[in-house]
Amino acid sequence: MNKFLRTLIPSDIAKGLAITGKHFCKVFFTANRRKVPFHIVSEYPEVVAKVQPRYRGRLTLLKDEQGEIKCVCCLACEKICPTQVITIEKGKKEGRKMPYPVRYDFEMERCIFCEFCVESCGFDSIILNHQFELATYNREDFSLGMEGLSQNMFEPSPVGKFSVADD
Amino acid sequence: MFKNEEMEINLGPQHPSTHGVLRVKLRLDGETITHCKPVIGYLHRGVEKICENQTFFQGQVWTDRMDYCSAVANNLGWAEANEKLFGITVPRRAQYIRTLLNEFNRLASHLIWLATHALDIGAMTVFLYAFREREDILDMNEAFCGSRLTTTAFRIGGLREDMPPGFEKMARKFLAKFPTCLEEYENLLSENRIWKKRTVGVAMLSAEDAIALGVTGPVLRAAGVPYDIRKAFPYAAYAEMDFEVPTETAADTYARYLVRMAEMRQSARIIQQCLDGMPEGPVMAKIPKILKPEVNEVYHATEAPKGELGYYLVGEKGSTNPYRFHVRAPGFINLQSLPKMAEGGLIADIVAAIGTLDIVLGEIDR
Ligand code: SF4
Ligand code: SF4
Repeated sequence: MNKFLRTLIPSDIAKGLAITGKHFCKVFFTANRRKVPFHIVSEYPEVVAKVQPRYRGRLTLLKDEQGEIKCVCCLACEKICPTQVITIEKGKKEGRKMPYPVRYDFEMERCIFCEFCVESCGFDSIILNHQFELATYNREDFSLGMEGLSQNMFEPSPVGKFSVADD
Repeated sequence: MFKNEEMEINLGPQHPSTHGVLRVKLRLDGETITHCKPVIGYLHRGVEKICENQTFFQGQVWTDRMDYCSAVANNLGWAEANEKLFGITVPRRAQYIRTLLNEFNRLASHLIWLATHALDIGAMTVFLYAFREREDILDMNEAFCGSRLTTTAFRIGGLREDMPPGFEKMARKFLAKFPTCLEEYENLLSENRIWKKRTVGVAMLSAEDAIALGVTGPVLRAAGVPYDIRKAFPYAAYAEMDFEVPTETAADTYARYLVRMAEMRQSARIIQQCLDGMPEGPVMAKIPKILKPEVNEVYHATEAPKGELGYYLVGEKGSTNPYRFHVRAPGFINLQSLPKMAEGGLIADIVAAIGTLDIVLGEIDR
């Protein structure tokens, strides 16, 4: 008898519907009225995506206050990189005591964004910025160097329009 | 009039309910499966061999990419196996943070299991709700290690950095709302007649069979064997935690669902204890810059969300690379039980059997 009643009255399904209904009402009746909305979807391309401060994005070379490249070619980053995507050519520059990177090549297509290079650098001369939209149409655009046409190692990537590229 | 013939079909490799690139060869008699054979290897990258050509420090990034749903648990196993090989003691604070992140990872992994398993069986709503909570955990991963899935969370000897400011608040906020979310999932599923029809008595695997096949994790515990490495051979800070190992005796898909739901509650309990009892101190042990092994071989097993995750490392004298590296992947071993579960059942139930095993092909093929 009990079982028959349970089959007749779908209380389990009503229970489930109550949950979805509750959530629907919460979002529907407070739309545009609450400061912190109940819905959790971010309107990404319209609203710039914010990432956490430790986010690991694209490798970037840093310059000091005088505009000098901070890197001193100790090759620690080249050695530690698990995918061997960094190639550095050591050189000299007039009026600079430390070695100077003539070439600093970075093949982004194979980078796995592990931050080992930044960690190994004892001179704080590289960081991973906060960009995550790094896809391009041409394979050549992934080979970054100190001077590049569409993107280089100093500037934020021009393709990442909707992610923050600060610090 | 018609000839009675068996039919052979392929399930996968591009099938949404095989959770990756798994191909299952099925022989059917009507709707009944008479023969079932999983075919794997579509995602083979040779992680073990790659790691043998890299230093101990670099190896961790490849463990991220094995079981990408629970990268932190993989990192933990790798870091601890190395620490065992080199005889490094990790500071207590680092142990606590590791335990904390590992349990968050277990929650994320179980949530993705719940979401996809329910979706396979036909319950769409749970999928969205479970992913909502998983998102918070991924945000915490991002806050802690800078990446959402491929975390590279730990370092040999401890952690790279301490907890970021605001992390504890995020974690507490999540813990405060998580029990209500769990109740929501249970209200949606536990009593649901369709869910019960699709799971109760489906894909049975008795305790004897499970032990004989080497199955571990929630699948084994749902057969009534209370084997959990966190309790049996405590690692990280699990020896100081107070938690239970949930078991069921029914050994079917529904029992595995109950076990995993109970496990999520226990994980939340462990996280609470970690947050409350977080000791002060450094997070990194003093380790030499170049690691060269002294002991020759180690095997270290951890309880990953899917089961026993073991790392076998052989060190060579004077070399900075492992001589041999082998992974005992829980998914790989658990998948062996698929024929046992599916044979004799209906073809519709193989989807439930694959889902309940909670496999990730990245780990099976490596
Ligand atoms: S983030 Fe990792 S993979 Fe990328 S360049 Fe640095 S070390 Fe290499
Ligand atoms: S580790 Fe730093 S200083 Fe050394 S080569 Fe790399 S970027 Fe330059």
